[in-house]
This record gives sequence, structure tokens and C-alpha cells, in this order.
Amino acid sequence: MNDDLRLAHVPMRETVELVRMDLPEELARPLMERGVLPGCRMCPLRTSPSGDPVVLVDGTVLALRRDLARCLCVKSVAGAA
Amino acid sequence: MPSPLSVAPTCHDTAAPPPSEGSELRPLVALVGPPNSGKTTFFNQLTGLRQKVANYPGVTVEKHLGQVTLPDGRTVDLLDLPGVNGFSGRSLDERVTMDALAGRIEGVRRPDAVVLVVDATRLETQLMLAEPVLEMGLPTLLVLNVIDEFDAQRGAVQDDVLAKELGVDVVRTDARGGRGLDRVQDFIARITRHRGWVSALGSQPDADDGRVSLPMIDVLTARRRRIRSILDKAAYRAPGLSGFTEKLDAIVLHRVWGPLIFFAMVVLVFEAIFSWAIPFMDGVEWFIAATGGWIAAVLPAGWFRSLLIDGVWAGVGSVVVFLPQILILFLFLAILEDSGYMARAAVIADRSMHRVGLQGRAFLPLLSGYACAVPAILAARTVEDERDRLATIFVTPFMTCSARLPVYALLIAAFIPDVQVLGPFLGARALTLLGLYALGIVAAVGTAFLLRRTFLRGRRADFVMELPPYRLPSPRSVLYRLWDRSKIFLKRAGGIIFAVTVILWVLAQFPQVDGGPPTVEQSALGQAGQFIEPAIAPLGFDWRVGVGLVSSLAAREVIVGSLGTIYGVEGAGEESFQLQEALQQHMPTDAAIALLVFFVFALQCMSTVAVMRRETAGWKWPIFQFAYMLMLAWGGAFLAYRIF
Repeated sequence: MNDDLRLAHVPMRETVELVRMDLPEELARPLMERGVLPGCRMCPLRTSPSGDPVVLVDGTVLALRRDLARCLCVKSVAGAA
Repeated sequence: MPSPLSVAPTCHDTAAPPPSEGSELRPLVALVGPPNSGKTTFFNQLTGLRQKVANYPGVTVEKHLGQVTLPDGRTVDLLDLPGVNGFSGRSLDERVTMDALAGRIEGVRRPDAVVLVVDATRLETQLMLAEPVLEMGLPTLLVLNVIDEFDAQRGAVQDDVLAKELGVDVVRTDARGGRGLDRVQDFIARITRHRGWVSALGSQPDADDGRVSLPMIDVLTARRRRIRSILDKAAYRAPGLSGFTEKLDAIVLHRVWGPLIFFAMVVLVFEAIFSWAIPFMDGVEWFIAATGGWIAAVLPAGWFRSLLIDGVWAGVGSVVVFLPQILILFLFLAILEDSGYMARAAVIADRSMHRVGLQGRAFLPLLSGYACAVPAILAARTVEDERDRLATIFVTPFMTCSARLPVYALLIAAFIPDVQVLGPFLGARALTLLGLYALGIVAAVGTAFLLRRTFLRGRRADFVMELPPYRLPSPRSVLYRLWDRSKIFLKRAGGIIFAVTVILWVLAQFPQVDGGPPTVEQSALGQAGQFIEPAIAPLGFDWRVGVGLVSSLAAREVIVGSLGTIYGVEGAGEESFQLQEALQQHMPTDAAIALLVFFVFALQCMSTVAVMRRETAGWKWPIFQFAYMLMLAWGGAFLAYRIF
């Protein structure tokens, strides 16, 4: 069930943990270099005017494209609001 | 792509002394850090104006080398390496940083020590760089920068635990406020005191150790876990998000306000480069003319005076005149970038840029292109993905740079009647100018679209943009950047323009008639115009325009002066009525419109060609670019001549 949760569908301000990236390494590379790795905490902060997510990743704010956010499998973190 | 950087590893101690480096006797300290860690501010604070910028051999990565005077009076060299997030070695910046630390770059000796600067407010992510840096085996100092914000946002970490776990020294700094830098100097002084001994300690890392072959995600995930456990031991408490940045982002990235602010910013930049810069440009123009006049008065008449004044002074002057505009552009861009707004602008622009096959980071180079393509192409370095970068560079010359404006101004004033078209605000002349700008944009969009389906096809790199906290730009940093950029602009543009103007001058002087210069028609330049006349006749151009086109190969605006010479109008500028009248007599209106269209498309700028060759590391792209734009120009002008 949790397996189906994608970052793109996480409500604003809810902290989740990254489980898996459904991306070829070439596309995942710029993400990984910026600390987006399995186990990291992600929290959607807002959407940009074009509807793309702005996400807090372990203290760093990243802007992603929404198609990319659909490829990031996450699970909710117990205890997080 | 093989790079001249990947030279075989040589033993540090036996390597020949690099000739281009500061001083072989001085110790070398490397500055490493992720982008946006405040590393450059840090570098500027430590070195002041005692720094110089060059390129690493054979690549487009800039090498910043400066000198630091230590408290004990000794001087060390400080090398500011490109900002990197890791050492996967796929980007040019990463490879340069990695090779520099390993002492594998020709002309750069292996550093004696490393100062690793990280932004403390994003410690967890930025520490990912610590491990690969430490693996280089050099004495390392970990600098927790921006510590003022870290404290203000109630972050906490035990430095001594961090130091013990990582096996490095740790200091806290606030580079912008200048705090903590003395302790960095102390470290450098201590480490470099027994330099030979320290260097011998550092083991030479292999070029390719086995780990590179492991899937990157495994390497990085394991690294991340280790960093997390070290931070846990050091009782790390992440700082909260900056309330100020949060509040500002709520507006700047707002659905309605965001695009409005973006649009206002673009208008402001345009206003600055086209209105505020004009008085300064007029001043520079006056200065060049005046000094040229004085020199002409002092020198005896003859070929040397003619070469110096008509060739060099006028030619190089035509480039220097754009310096105020470029400085103002860079002032704005530096402020926008250092404050953190540019990252947001790239995010806002990304969706529409993506649609035409570019990405958000291309926005800044393209905006710069409205002033001048040369700095714009240099700015394209911020576009991470290589294909995206090439596409950005390729479409940049379609942006209406300010060198086209004198040409547009002259032809519009001479041929387009000053009548109202749409109400009292939009005349035929303004409409023509807008149309020329729009034509450039259409060409850029179409070209990007085509490139993406032909030469630059393949996977789309994704767009990931880090949004750094908003910060007040440091005036010092901004000024250093301006200084840097203007030096590069003058060197790149000035050098090629100098060469081309001398060649053009020679072509205009020979073959000599009765020991004096020939008429334009008889000169080699005039013959070149006549030679290409059959090719341009279908566009409605005669040999005189041909001479203008040949001479404006150096720089577009040169055509104004050379048309003046051909029609025998003294001191012709774009506002010269005599020149306008002469043009009206010799050129039908449809040919003038064709000429305008020609200038929208043609790559009449050797500085751009030169900088493209540099930035794409070869002649392939600039030659292709030149041919492609010439083809478009010819086709466009042909159509315009037929239609109008």
C-alpha cells in the first residue's frame, strides 16, 4: 500500500522518507548529488507557479519537475505531522 | 569525450615545476565546497584583489588562484576549485576538482592542504562531500560557514565530535561578516609550516579505484548513512527553515505574484541595459573619439596613423563601447544571483523553457544575450546538462543583442515612415523594431525545437534546482565578479576585434593607387563586396551592401561606419541624416527590409564565434552555427525582399 505513495501525492508540509527512485541512473544522478537518496526526509513546502513541487530534503530546498516527483516512492514517517 | 585534463597520474615529487603557477616555493591550499556554500565569498575575503582568473588547460572551467598572507608574514597560494556536490566525475567541474586535488592537472601542483567549506544551515546534505575529499589524503580543515544563520535558526552540533569522527580540524566561520577567518589562517599556517613533510604524507590516490564501478546509488546511500551516524554522535540538531526565506518564497513563488515579479524583474533588467547604460555608453564613445582625435593630431599623417585611428581605435572602440552596458547587466545579474532570486527565476521559467527544449537555467544566459552574446555564452556554463548547454549556446545569438541596435536604428530611420499604426502609442517604427525582436525569438524557439529532434536528441536531463536561502549580496563579492567579467569580456572580445579590424583596414588600403590608398571600389574590400554581389543580388543588395556585410563580419555595428565610408559621408553614425539620404538613394525599401531581416539571423560577430569555439572546445559548433545562421539569414532576407 505504502509502496504506491509517490512524492507528487504527498500533502504539503507532511514529512516522508524516500524509499526508492523509479528512475534510470542518468536521471537520478542530479537528484542523488543533491542528497536525494533512499532514507532521506522529504517534505513538500509549496508548488511553484507552474505546479511543480518545491521540496525540503534534509534541510536543503529543492525545486523538481512534477513528472520527477511521480517517480519518487516514499513512505510516511511515523510520528511526523 | 576525452579531455586533456585526464593526463596520466604522475608522481608528485618528480613532476616538473609547473611554469604558469604563482610561485613554486609557496605552499598551495585548495578551497573545496558545494555550490552555494559561500565558498567564493570566503575566497574573496581571504585573498582580496590578489587573485587571477584563467582557464584550466583545454577546458572551459575557470581557475581562480589567489594569495593569502598569513599572520606569520608568509604568503600561500589559495586555489578556489569549482563548486561540486560530489566526485562522480561526470561533470567537467567535478573532474577538474577531483584531478586538482589529486595533482593530476598540468600546471597545477598538488595542494598541500584542503579547506572544505560547507553551508552549516544545510550541513547534512553538504557533508556528503567530506568523505570523497578526505579520501584524497590531504590535511583538511572543515569550515562550517554561514554559522550566524545556523545559530539564529537554532541549529546545534558538537564540533569536537565532528572533528574526531571525521579526522579533521573544524572551525566555524561567517565569511560574509569576516568572522572566524583568522582561525582558518591559523590552520593554513600550521599545516604549511613543514610543507615538504606534509606533502610526503599525502598518498597519491589512484585515478580509477574500484569503487567507481559500483552503482552510484549504493556508494552514495552508504555514504549518507555514515554521515547521518556521525551527525547523530555529534548531537546534531538541524536548524529550522529561515522564516524570512519561507515568507519571501510564499510571495516570489506565488501562483499570481510569482510570474508578475518575474516579469517586473525582466523589464527592470531591460530598462537598465537600454536606458541607464546609454549615458555611460555615450561617454565612452565620446572618450574614444576624443582620444582618437588627439592621437591623430599628434601623429604625422600616413599609413600608421590611419591603421591606428581608422583601424584599431575605431574597431576596438566599437567593442569597448558596450562595456558600460555589460557592467550594468552583470551588476544586476550578480545581485539577483547572490540574493538567491535567480534560482527562483529559473524555476518559474523552467516550464516554458522546457516546452521548447531548453530548461530553466538557460533563462539567465538568454536574458544576458539581449546585451551581448559573448557574456551570455559564458553564462551558459551554469546549465548543467551538456546537451542543454549546447542548445542554449546555439540559440543565444538569436537574442537581439545591442550591437544590432545601431543597424536597426539606421535602417528603420531611413526607410520606415514615422506614422501611427495602432493608436497614438505604437508607430510603424516601434512596431518594426518589436517585429525584429520577435523574429529573433521565433528563430530561437524554432532552432531549439529542431536541435532537440536532430543533433541534440536523446534523453532529457531533468531539472533539479537548489533554492538557497535568500541572503543580502555582499558588495565585495559583487564588485569582484564585475571586475572579473569585464576583464574576460575585454580580453575575449577585444583580442579578436583587434585582429579583424586590422585585417579589414589592410583590405581597404590595398592595392595602393599612385602610392596612396585606393577608392573603396578599387580596394580589396570593395572587390570582396563585388565578388559576393551575385550571391546577394537575389536579396536586393548591391556590392556596397556587400562591403558592409563583409566588414560587419567583425561586429554587426561596423556596417554603419563602412556604409558611411562607401557613400562618402564623414563621421557617419546611425543618426546621420546624410547617411540616411544616401541609403534612400541607393537602396529600395524592400532591400532595406531584407537587410534588417538578414541582421536578425546572421552571425555577424567574430567575438561570438571565438567564444563559441572556446566554450564548445572545437570548431565544429561555431562553423555549423555560422553556416546555419547564414542560411537562415539568406532565406529570410530573400523572402522579405520578395514579399515587401
